[in-house]
Amino acid sequence: MSRPVRRRLAILVAALAAPPLACALELPVVARSLSNGLRVLVHEDHSAPVVSSYVFYHVGSRNEVRGATGISHLFEHMMFNGGRKFGPGVFDDLIEGNGGSTNGYTTRDYTAYLNNFPREALPVVLDLESDRMANLAITKQNLEQERGIVMEERRLRIDNEVWGVMDEALYLQAFVESPYRWNVIGFMPDIAHITLDQARAYFRTYYAPNNATVVLAGDVDPPAAFRLVERYFGAIPRRHPPPPVDSSEPPQDGERRAVVRKNAELPAVMIGYHVPRAVDADRASLDVVERLLGGGESARLHQDLVRRHEVATVVEANDTWGIDPELFWIYAQARPKKTAAALEERIDAVVGELRSKRVPDDELAKAKSQLRSEYVEGLKTVSGKANKLGFFETVFGDYRALFRLEDAWRAVSADDVQRVARTYLDRTHRTVVVLVPVPAPGRPASGRPPRPGGVS
Amino acid sequence: MKALALLLILSGFAYAEDDLRLPRVTRAIFDNGLHVIVAEYHELPLVEFHLIVGAGAAQDPAGKEGVSAVTANALRRGAGKLSAEELARAIESLGGRISTTPGTDGTIVTAEFLRDDFAAGLDLLRQVMLDPKFSRDEVRRAREEQAAAIVAGFEDASTVAEKCYGNFLYGSHPYGRPVEGRRSTVSDIGRSDVTAYYDRWYRPNNTTLVLVGDVSAVDAVIRLREAFGAWRARPDAIPLRPTAPEPVAARRVLLVDKPDATQAQIRFGNVAIKRSDPDYLPAQVANTILGGGFTSKLIEELRVKRSLTYAAWSMFAARFGGGDFRLGTFTKNPTTAETLDLALTVEGDFRNRLPDRKALDKAKSYLRGQFPLRLETPDALAARLAEIEFYGLPVDELATFRRRVAAVTPADVQRVARAHMPPPDRVAVVVVGQASQVRAPLEAKFGPVETVAPDACEKLSMPRR
Repeated sequence: MSRPVRRRLAILVAALAAPPLACALELPVVARSLSNGLRVLVHEDHSAPVVSSYVFYHVGSRNEVRGATGISHLFEHMMFNGGRKFGPGVFDDLIEGNGGSTNGYTTRDYTAYLNNFPREALPVVLDLESDRMANLAITKQNLEQERGIVMEERRLRIDNEVWGVMDEALYLQAFVESPYRWNVIGFMPDIAHITLDQARAYFRTYYAPNNATVVLAGDVDPPAAFRLVERYFGAIPRRHPPPPVDSSEPPQDGERRAVVRKNAELPAVMIGYHVPRAVDADRASLDVVERLLGGGESARLHQDLVRRHEVATVVEANDTWGIDPELFWIYAQARPKKTAAALEERIDAVVGELRSKRVPDDELAKAKSQLRSEYVEGLKTVSGKANKLGFFETVFGDYRALFRLEDAWRAVSADDVQRVARTYLDRTHRTVVVLVPVPAPGRPASGRPPRPGGVS
Repeated sequence: MKALALLLILSGFAYAEDDLRLPRVTRAIFDNGLHVIVAEYHELPLVEFHLIVGAGAAQDPAGKEGVSAVTANALRRGAGKLSAEELARAIESLGGRISTTPGTDGTIVTAEFLRDDFAAGLDLLRQVMLDPKFSRDEVRRAREEQAAAIVAGFEDASTVAEKCYGNFLYGSHPYGRPVEGRRSTVSDIGRSDVTAYYDRWYRPNNTTLVLVGDVSAVDAVIRLREAFGAWRARPDAIPLRPTAPEPVAARRVLLVDKPDATQAQIRFGNVAIKRSDPDYLPAQVANTILGGGFTSKLIEELRVKRSLTYAAWSMFAARFGGGDFRLGTFTKNPTTAETLDLALTVEGDFRNRLPDRKALDKAKSYLRGQFPLRLETPDALAARLAEIEFYGLPVDELATFRRRVAAVTPADVQRVARAHMPPPDRVAVVVVGQASQVRAPLEAKFGPVETVAPDACEKLSMPRR
């Protein structure tokens, strides 16, 4: 069953919650920069006659301003509708006609365009990618077409999706000034009002070779690949570097709470804690904390909320890696007849124990072993590898940060776990979003009623 | 314990007609009837298992719908000497995974371990398959979690749409049953139902086991025989498959009310081919033109030209004894009737016309070009090999795929489209949306519309009296 979700929005900036690695698996990469500033990474892998290309533009919703939120993602859609050499409708036709598939996605930190294709199609793919980087056709027709589609996408992912509403509410509550506060897809009125002039200015500011990274992985010969990239991208002029982002955020003094009322079946809760940026020295310890709390059925949250106390159907923990300080969040959905308050009480108990007691060595080893497996998982495909290399180059500033993950995880001690849990998973500056299900008129919802303070 | 001899080992390269290197596949049938397929894969230090037990929701007894899913969900909750918690810890300490996916005709069990943990991982998998505990408490947990998941599913419009479409199209045919069962039946499932289901169907002569990994094939077959050789066959473990379902003879529209929805989910289709039908491949080509790729007719008309939706797709859901063709999209409330009407028109026009050469060539290039990418990971390869074995497809299915796609003609496409895609006046339609907004426009265009609540669809699949 496949539903096309191309040009999709990565709502979880880092669904890459913890890409894995083992030193033995360090990927051979050749890296170069063209004279116009375009960064190029090539990874050679001849196991199948296929290539994956990614173009990472170092712009995402963090670069946006109020009144034009969502422009990064709307722009990503427009990028498929023609440049100067190739007109509207040609991009997809040529990619698929050459046996390739194409997609794009936008996060708070970056915008990525990917193609997976037979190796013979490499020149065509680079021709298409460079044409839209240099000369995207920013027309009224292009903008209006994608505006309607993106509004439909917002209705799908946020407005008619309970989890999406909660996620949007969490970031809006937790951040006051940081541009991370709005969802990548933007507010509906902003999507409705973005102008052609704004789109043109956005393109001039951010879609430049010196603000992008091209990654090629698969059945390519690096010298030949560099020659091709130089041929297609070499003449695109460098532009002024984009303005820096002000991500400063006043410290959160005290807990913040929000209530979401939706037609839903079961109560749910989402709790966000402020965590530092991806390059911070504490991030590896937070990755381990994420696995200890949310890494599968043996993890603490599942054991407590699903098994021991039987209050939740689903519970997850997510440590998001961002260029700017992000959130570590925990989400739980209640069982029928259980309350959001009961979920919160158990989450507090589990987090509290991590803060107060030293984690046993075997449990620490299990979490690390899960992180390593996930690392390998992310490297199974050429597309996965290209995506990871581009992600690390963009968010960490160096693709080689990928190869340092395992050492960083290995070095995490039980003391580190306790220290970061105490530092960051602190209820005095967390944000809680509670879903209160509203029954449909004339119909009782199944999970009701949520009684405040009620426990299983 | 009886030592079981190996009945047969066939080994050979599966040659493709071009430079795509397919791995060497080793096949064995153990004398307890277990079909084993091993392929070596040395790109990553992993071993991947993919098992299909040949029974699913279609084998649920009446009144106990959902038991196959409860069985699958309870399978990993304690085995051998290990409690559920100990087993989960043992698997996750290796950084491994064992998961179960209940289905309609079969139940899939997959496992992944690092190569260095092959022996330990295989032993855990063996205990799960051959010696699950099914303790009373774990069966209760599996049942209650499944019941909660059913309720949670009512929240999500696309989940409701898929489920209601299946119930509405197939009715009381076994393929209309929700795999997870109905709320009323799941609550009645007890330990004896689960153990009876397991004893009957989880048998080596009803199972296919595929292993793809960084191992030697010969060594792997020996180790698999040590692990699974003692599994006992049962003569009545192989189910009779459902007969082909009846197509709907007219257009019927079901509206499922989601009172605060600002977007309506749309599905329609009719009964079509089974997986082993020789038309399956040309039907895939035809479907790619209509609603498979990102340059499909549906995307062109609904998304690109009119911005009515973010996505539109079609597919053949082909099962053992039959299947269906289905089309899906979604749109904002005010354009619901217009979008449904247009999707029906696009589908109807497609089946009435010879496809243009350019669209056909593009679809063929797309399917051929993406083929290696669909086999790229060891788990994807394992799934494809298991599928071939399970549905009894030719063993050279993968090796000949690209050649067979290349040979499809415009006439083939038109023939299979007319034969297997329904005329737009003979479809089961499901719309999940805000009834107060979308009902009147739908009735104006399509006549009387039956309206139900999301939790009422499952009643449509109940046996008719």
